[in-house]
Amino acid sequence: MSALIRMRLAGLLRTGRAVAPLLAGLITLGTLYGGGRAQPAEAYGVSAVVLFPVLAWQTKILLDVEPDVQRRLAQVTVGVARERLAGLLAAGVAALVTVAVALLFPWLVGGVSGPVDPGDRSIPVGLALGVWAHLLVVPAAVALGALASRASVGGAGYGVAVLALGGVGAVVLGLTGSVAPWLAPPIMAAARTTGGDAAALTLLGLSGWALAWSGAVVGGYLWRRRAEG
Amino acid sequence: MLGPMRLEDVWLRYHRRGPWVLRGIDVRIGPGEVAVVLGRNGVGKSTLLQVAAGVLRPGRGRVTDRPARVGWVPERFPADQPFTVARYLTGMARVAGLGRAAADEAVTSWTDRLGLSAFRSVRLPELSKGTAQKVGLAQAMLRPPGLLVLDEPWEGLDAATRELVPELIAEVLAADGSVLVSDHRGETIQLPAARRWLVADGSLSEETPSTDETFAVVEVAVPAARVAGTVARLRAEGHQVLRVRSDACAAAPEARPAEPLRAAGAARSAEPPIGVAGALAAEQSEAVDAAVEPAAGEAR
Repeated sequence: MSALIRMRLAGLLRTGRAVAPLLAGLITLGTLYGGGRAQPAEAYGVSAVVLFPVLAWQTKILLDVEPDVQRRLAQVTVGVARERLAGLLAAGVAALVTVAVALLFPWLVGGVSGPVDPGDRSIPVGLALGVWAHLLVVPAAVALGALASRASVGGAGYGVAVLALGGVGAVVLGLTGSVAPWLAPPIMAAARTTGGDAAALTLLGLSGWALAWSGAVVGGYLWRRRAEG
Repeated sequence: MLGPMRLEDVWLRYHRRGPWVLRGIDVRIGPGEVAVVLGRNGVGKSTLLQVAAGVLRPGRGRVTDRPARVGWVPERFPADQPFTVARYLTGMARVAGLGRAAADEAVTSWTDRLGLSAFRSVRLPELSKGTAQKVGLAQAMLRPPGLLVLDEPWEGLDAATRELVPELIAEVLAADGSVLVSDHRGETIQLPAARRWLVADGSLSEETPSTDETFAVVEVAVPAARVAGTVARLRAEGHQVLRVRSDACAAAPEARPAEPLRAAGAARSAEPPIGVAGALAAEQSEAVDAAVEPAAGEAR
């Protein structure tokens, strides 16, 4: 399966289609960090929110780069379950690379500062919370991108609609006082947590919520592709 | 040894409210057997092959005892990929589970055998249709398949590679593999031992070889521009078109009775005639066997 993951990542890189979402992410982060310096946990919380649609888009591109017939050839060769899993894992690996760039980026442009007041979090703690917030976003974004992929929805228009709905919905439904916050992945809640009280139980609860949401959406993706194999 | 692969009461449609493309297919194919899937365009030959290969899941029914290693040659190879021939085939060999050395060896062996050596560093989108089809053939054979599914494998291939296809099929059969092949060109005439599955209206029937029908071969010369129409008409009438060839000698429109029966049609235009050799069934057969060799210059 690792060979299929490598082949799909190579396909993404060689077509150059990975550049667009990466650029979009960097431009947005540049705008974000250009507004002034912030402490790591707070800055990374917002960065994770920004990255959610970017990573979902990147996932959709990765899965769509491969022609349909080639995807079926891979399925015949490795089996249905491994073919699906290889696509999700390849998207996960690509997302982790983008996350690493996003975590490094504010340090390069001077967008983060150390603790100012006595009650502020130390840099390592802020960094750890930031990494957690980004890792929370990865499975949710990969799941949304997979659901929006051509193999799942067919036409390009539907895919864009799923991406847009998912991206906007995650922000709108994640606002404080939302009537149905559970319909969206907890990326907004995670951003609020990194900037405020980050109790262990809260982090655990949000992690479980993110995984459950991602699992449900991946289930939808697999269900959409049930006719294949 | 694995028993025969079975398709048990297989039904398939592409959309929930769409028409059934396959209806209650019940068929089996055992190790060492080859079956040719015949039928008109759009009757579900490719769909049946994809169900057998594991590309499509039946809406109802099931496929049992499918060999673990399946090689599938799609009707059109997906050449729109950012890899060279060598890199693609090596990648597919690794995906199929071969180690680095074994993958390199398999790729070298199959590129040599299929005449792809000169194209190893050529990017897939730059290949001609026939060369891309060879890559499709190679990827299916990198690891000896227990089931080889060939969807119109002769399409676009040059004469030398067309001759190679029956050889590859024989090798798979010799290793106790099974082969399913669809063909509308009549190349499967080269597979005399093949079972013949006829797909019509979503159903499948197996054609049993007839022993009491008498056939005669009639050679007909027609203007090149009318070949397609003549072949289509002959097939529509139930005749088996064995092959089409470019033949300068056929310009003389003289009937030459011989054994078997030969007839030459009068060429009324200045266009060079093309010979159409067909078996005219003494009694009209329902089976439309397509055995057409491309006219000169058609295959790349």
